[in-house]
Amino acid sequence: MNRNRWLNLLSPLLLLLLWELAVQLGWLNRLFYPPPSEVLVTLWKNLTSGQLLYHMGMSLMRIMSGFLLGGIPAIALGILMGINPIVRALAHPLAAAIYPIPKIALLPLVIVVLGLGEASKIATLAISVFFLVVLNVAASVLQVDPRHFEVARSFGAQQRDLFWTVALPASLPGIFTSIKLGMGFALTLIVGVEFVGANEGIGWFIWRAYELYAIDRMLAGLIAVALMGWALTTLLDELERRMLPWQMIRTPRTPRTAPKKGTHFMQTILKWYRLSRPWSYTAAIIPVTLGTIVAAYHGAFSLWLFALTLVGTVLLQAGTNFVNDYYDYVKGTDNHESLGTGGGIFQGGVPPHHTLIAGMICFVAGSLIGLYLVSVAGPMILWIGIVAVLVGFFYTAGPFALAYVGLGEVAVFIFMGPMIVIGAYYVQMQQLSLPVLLISLPIGFLVAAILHANNLRDLDNDRKVGKRTLATILGRTGANIEYYVLIIGTYLSLLVVVVMGIAPWVTLITVLTVPTAFRLMRIVSAETEPHALQPVLRQTAKLHMQFGMLLVMGWLIAWMLEQVS
Amino acid sequence: MATITAEQLTMTYAGRNAHDPIMALDGISFRIAEGELVSIVGPSGCGKTTLLRILAGLEQPTRGHYQISQRDPNRPPVAMVFQQAGLFPWLTVIQNITYGLRLRGLAKAEQAALAQHWLAAMSLERFAHSYPVQLSGGMQQRVGLARAFAYNGEVLLMDEPFGALDAQTRLLLQQTLLETVAQTGQTLVLVTHSIEEALTLSDRVLMMSARPGRLIDELAVPFGRPRDAITLRTEPAFSALVAHIWGRLRAEIEQARQAELYAA
Repeated sequence: MNRNRWLNLLSPLLLLLLWELAVQLGWLNRLFYPPPSEVLVTLWKNLTSGQLLYHMGMSLMRIMSGFLLGGIPAIALGILMGINPIVRALAHPLAAAIYPIPKIALLPLVIVVLGLGEASKIATLAISVFFLVVLNVAASVLQVDPRHFEVARSFGAQQRDLFWTVALPASLPGIFTSIKLGMGFALTLIVGVEFVGANEGIGWFIWRAYELYAIDRMLAGLIAVALMGWALTTLLDELERRMLPWQMIRTPRTPRTAPKKGTHFMQTILKWYRLSRPWSYTAAIIPVTLGTIVAAYHGAFSLWLFALTLVGTVLLQAGTNFVNDYYDYVKGTDNHESLGTGGGIFQGGVPPHHTLIAGMICFVAGSLIGLYLVSVAGPMILWIGIVAVLVGFFYTAGPFALAYVGLGEVAVFIFMGPMIVIGAYYVQMQQLSLPVLLISLPIGFLVAAILHANNLRDLDNDRKVGKRTLATILGRTGANIEYYVLIIGTYLSLLVVVVMGIAPWVTLITVLTVPTAFRLMRIVSAETEPHALQPVLRQTAKLHMQFGMLLVMGWLIAWMLEQVS
Repeated sequence: MATITAEQLTMTYAGRNAHDPIMALDGISFRIAEGELVSIVGPSGCGKTTLLRILAGLEQPTRGHYQISQRDPNRPPVAMVFQQAGLFPWLTVIQNITYGLRLRGLAKAEQAALAQHWLAAMSLERFAHSYPVQLSGGMQQRVGLARAFAYNGEVLLMDEPFGALDAQTRLLLQQTLLETVAQTGQTLVLVTHSIEEALTLSDRVLMMSARPGRLIDELAVPFGRPRDAITLRTEPAFSALVAHIWGRLRAEIEQARQAELYAA
């Protein structure tokens, strides 16, 4: 589920990247094909100016009115058609005959009758929604298991009871499906309707952009339509979940249908993607985003550079994971009993050296992106990049592997915290700044806490195999204290930068995560068993993500407030 | 409680063409005493389910008539337990149980009290707010029983209630049913294709012929009540009676099979 969601994101992101690249490199004419970054900026401008929201609101109002006006009678008549053969015989031929007419073709007729105002637009929507919904609802009522009606009758249900207690609830899933279909239909139609004789609305917005030949505005309008569609669908899905709880329960008894097997190529990609430990990417994504947003706050932001930094950093992270897997395997610290996520080689059945090669590919690809960034942002990035690759590689490789001599936390603290934040900041600003170092400290603490949670869990096993981590060196009590220090340090360091006036006060929304932090420290103080500590690792990673997201959000809000004032 | 009398119940369906109607039941007459537990067995397709549906008021017989004479006109005449429970998937367990009570317009508090009582009696308390899909087949049929008992019809009609369950679950539910009916004193008409089940659960077994269904014989079950569904099977008399009924039905079952083969 989760994995598929990530994969779903992959193809559109790649396409956007390609598009952006093609324009940035001059293969496509910027005038006709504005790059995604430019479209996003236009979208943002139109959103913040309130203009776009106004037009979206107008369209939404029309959709809703048309929907209620057409949908509610359609549901009522549809159910009646479903349970009453006479009504069905009377209404079905008519509905079925009118249904296939493209309703936009009715618009001129409707305008003749109702004039050019709101009424004709809403009526056109209502008519098309009506016919779609009425037929689908009737069909879904007809499909209700007749046994349900019998059971109801055996308990004395009258005609009216049959409608309310059987026909309606049993066909609700079908009704929802038809409502969703109708919603998609309405969205398609509203744009068409607003192309003709409207002075507001999202369709008008797009048409107007066409008349002005402002293609970025046109695309921004399209994105707005897509967003509206997405929002409405999500809303309906949520409503469905609330109203049809029995439909949403996964039955443990019936075997779930096997996931569809993709092509061999896709499966391979998927497998390697999984082996790269995608859940760890947030550890790279959060500091990059933080560094970028701080730079934006300080006055410099390029979406293009941000995207590149993000992809490059994630590639380095994946590379590190692969190499780490390989050397853990070679040095024999992972075994079949390894809890958790290490040991992809054991669990994935992948030849060990393939993992090493995959890691190298990631490092090379990440470095190439890094080199481009160097050419844009200056040699400083080169140094950061070189050190990052070295640390990533020698984290578990070589005779002086950082992770095996108790320096893992320190390395992770520096490189997954301040180093990335500063790097991402530098890419945007092309200058260093001491405050950014301070701003990045909480992230460093938390990411070190993730690793330390891992080492805490493995403490006894690591001792046995002779893996030296800070936890085995400090012993159980010391290791527990180290965990508290890392967690408390997170909040303390943030508090200090806020008090110093370096970070805006909104970033304190991160205190929302304090209860989780307390809970984790309590578990650590009470447990020593690996299985009991397993959730601490997962939860610490989650804490890192939530804290990081809130921190980024705080900065984002501060930045937006800055823009407004 | 209630006595049931049926006289010359006959049922004909329109067949594949109008000239060739299918006769499902042919002149069925019987009398069931108050509080009596009666099973109906017969080859598949003999019309025993049709007979039950007529008693439930779900179908009108073509000819003949029946009467359920009630003691208490305020109670519903019948409550039915369906094959594979027939629960409403959109209602929770407790809502399924109170379905009939809601239709009867009982006060909310009364509904809740009855529901609690029958949830407890069927060991379903933990599942009160689950949906049927979340339950095993045996659990679902417990809900079906609870629903029928809560509805409190004077006659309980059961159509192959345990047919889809595994042997152990089936035995346990049969025992539960015996114990509960002993307490409520309801009249029970049970349709089953299991001779063992008929003997275990009833005072009298009615045997039906292959289509068109006629009553060909009946047997008074010599075991008293209360009885134990599990130990009953170990008695020599039990297997002798199974063999007896089986012998009586055998020719009918063969005939039904022949008819099926012929039709195919």
